Amino acid sequence: MTARMKLGAFLWATGHHIAAWRHPKAHVTAGIDIDHYIQLARTAEAAKFDMVFCEDAAGLREANVGIASQTSRSIGFEPISLLSALAVQTSRIGLVSTASTSYNEPYGLARTFLSLDHLSGGRAGWNLVTSASPIEAANFGSTGLKPHADRYERAREFAEVVTGLWHGKASGHDGQSFSVRDPLGLPRSPQGAPVMVQAGASDVGRDLAARTADVVFTAAQTFEEAKAFYDDLKGRMATYGREPDDIKIMPGVSPVVAETEAEAREKHEELQALIPDDVGVALLSSYLSISDLWRYPIDGPLPELPESEGMKSRQALVVEQSRRDGLSIRQLARHFAGARGHWRIVGTAAQVADELQAWFEGGAADGFNVMPSYFPGELDAFATLVVPELQRRGLFRRDYEGRTLREHLGLKRPA
Amino acid sequence: MHLAISLNIAAATGEAVLDFSRISKFVRQAEAAGVDMVAISDTADGPSSSPFEATTLLAALATVTDKIGLVAAASTVAHQPYNLARRFASLDIISHGRAGWHATMAQGSREAANFSRPEGFSDTDFRRRAEEYIGIVQGLWQGWDADALLFDKTGGRFHDPEKMHLLDHKGEFFSVRGPLNVARSPQDTPVLVLSDLSEADLDIAARTADVILLESGSVDSAKVRFDDLKRRAMAAGRDPDAVKVLTSISFAPDDGPAATADRLETQLRAKSCDGFNIQLSAQHSALGDFVDHILPALRQRGLVQEGYRGTTLRSHLRLDGGGDQ
Repeated sequence: MTARMKLGAFLWATGHHIAAWRHPKAHVTAGIDIDHYIQLARTAEAAKFDMVFCEDAAGLREANVGIASQTSRSIGFEPISLLSALAVQTSRIGLVSTASTSYNEPYGLARTFLSLDHLSGGRAGWNLVTSASPIEAANFGSTGLKPHADRYERAREFAEVVTGLWHGKASGHDGQSFSVRDPLGLPRSPQGAPVMVQAGASDVGRDLAARTADVVFTAAQTFEEAKAFYDDLKGRMATYGREPDDIKIMPGVSPVVAETEAEAREKHEELQALIPDDVGVALLSSYLSISDLWRYPIDGPLPELPESEGMKSRQALVVEQSRRDGLSIRQLARHFAGARGHWRIVGTAAQVADELQAWFEGGAADGFNVMPSYFPGELDAFATLVVPELQRRGLFRRDYEGRTLREHLGLKRPA
Repeated sequence: MHLAISLNIAAATGEAVLDFSRISKFVRQAEAAGVDMVAISDTADGPSSSPFEATTLLAALATVTDKIGLVAAASTVAHQPYNLARRFASLDIISHGRAGWHATMAQGSREAANFSRPEGFSDTDFRRRAEEYIGIVQGLWQGWDADALLFDKTGGRFHDPEKMHLLDHKGEFFSVRGPLNVARSPQDTPVLVLSDLSEADLDIAARTADVILLESGSVDSAKVRFDDLKRRAMAAGRDPDAVKVLTSISFAPDDGPAATADRLETQLRAKSCDGFNIQLSAQHSALGDFVDHILPALRQRGLVQEGYRGTTLRSHLRLDGGGDQ
């Protein structure tokens, strides 16, 4: 059997496009409608996706209240409770949520995810992130953001404690940031341990992933970029005594797919036209961790940026793209607002499948985290158009072979 | 009368662990009998034989029930207030306004040591911290006005920024800016249940709680404590009916259904409580006995309401706030 690609369905309220909620067919009340999410998870399960994935932030996404009120991102479900509800309304699909190491304690987080794992019969995964947002920090008594390196040192210790607890480690932990006396007490995971996911792409982020992750989500705009990341990360694993296949690397992809290419382009343009300029610029500013981008002419180039303590790797990505393609602030803002810096493919099912196949077979990806531009329409379109095309090409499963998320992903069961 | 069931999901020694299907079957039976709420125990205080943590279990139960209130225990040591407020606000939306948070005022003996606080808290620090914590959580739950969400696609106005409020709390133990990134609950705020009150906690509970669980004792002592709590609630400027005081009863199968029903009826007639909190252990036999024998006996005497009046936990408990009052 040839290798099969892994697919995640990245669920996010009304959709990944910043203006998704304004689309006539978007489900605008997604953030308060559990039945909407149950339906999305069932759609993804019927299409045999490996997992659904939920992002998370412990605070608003946008500090400017006027900007925030023009997006649907200020309210939504807390993802652990959301996935626990989905756990008993689905039977096969993996359930992965983001949770921050900055504002949680490892004992509580390990317990919660293990409980989700039991509720779902071994389908849970944790996406480890560190928090870079000052908006989040203000909800946790913090006076300022921790430097990047400190956040990752805390994350490394956090991950070590959590995996120790999941693996039934009996002795306590007394470290720099955390102390834990007892084992968890809950029975062992049905899949050995919940799946560990990471997304950090900085140098320390890659090292942490090479050491501890089962799955890595990444953002890449071009094949070369994705390939370089893939080779670098897999190359780091030997240091930690791991095989390259022990991590599945899944770039985010935001496809806009339709029966014809013209139709797909039209769909995409329809969404782009719904982005207010101030919202696009604000979103771009937050990705660049700067606050005064609005001062610069919107049709001019991106100014020189100071290095930030925020998301280093993301900032470099945006700057590189703006220089490479000679994009103005407005163009860049619309571009990023559309797919948030992730890879976008606009076209027919065959065109989308061609691109995914090229990355997969070219050694730039083990699979993809699919980020539909609006819900439910674009998830439905991917499930009914692209998935059958991938199946015809032998690139994706026609049915689940295993029961647990680890089995879907072809990961070793931890001892 | 109001009837709550507290379910200790950690199995007794030697008993088979309750899996999700057994727990959900029991909760659906309690729902069919018109019980106001089921409260799920939780402890990060030591080993548990249950595979489940309470808030995750509550979310799952919410999707397989329609009417019954669902309350989860969660400790003020195990969670940051912002995270706990989000979790319960989300549970309340998932359950369409049927969620409650059960906070214990007693400090778990082993818990702090597992949450990077090996030195623990002094009793007075724990109490002041818990009071501040509850205020933050209840404040965050009210950060969005009931009509804040506009969903105006053509006008490009998702919500009304004037109807979103910062908490801006700066206190002795916490500072939390807010607002919550979860919408307002269908019942305005999840129900707050407090238990394990010491003398020094009574005023905190009278100010903040929607439901207070009191340990059982003689009818006379229950009456004294009931009247005292209602007085304290009035002194705090609340309607005494805004706090429901339930007496906890350990269910012993040996007592027989008639004796149990007698016991409850006597207490109720003495006006020593607003209802009861039946404590059940996670034994398959105890759940079965309760559903098959005790609930029918209570229903026969008219002690359990016939069906639900509304759809939210607040409406079951005749509490003010949101939903279908």
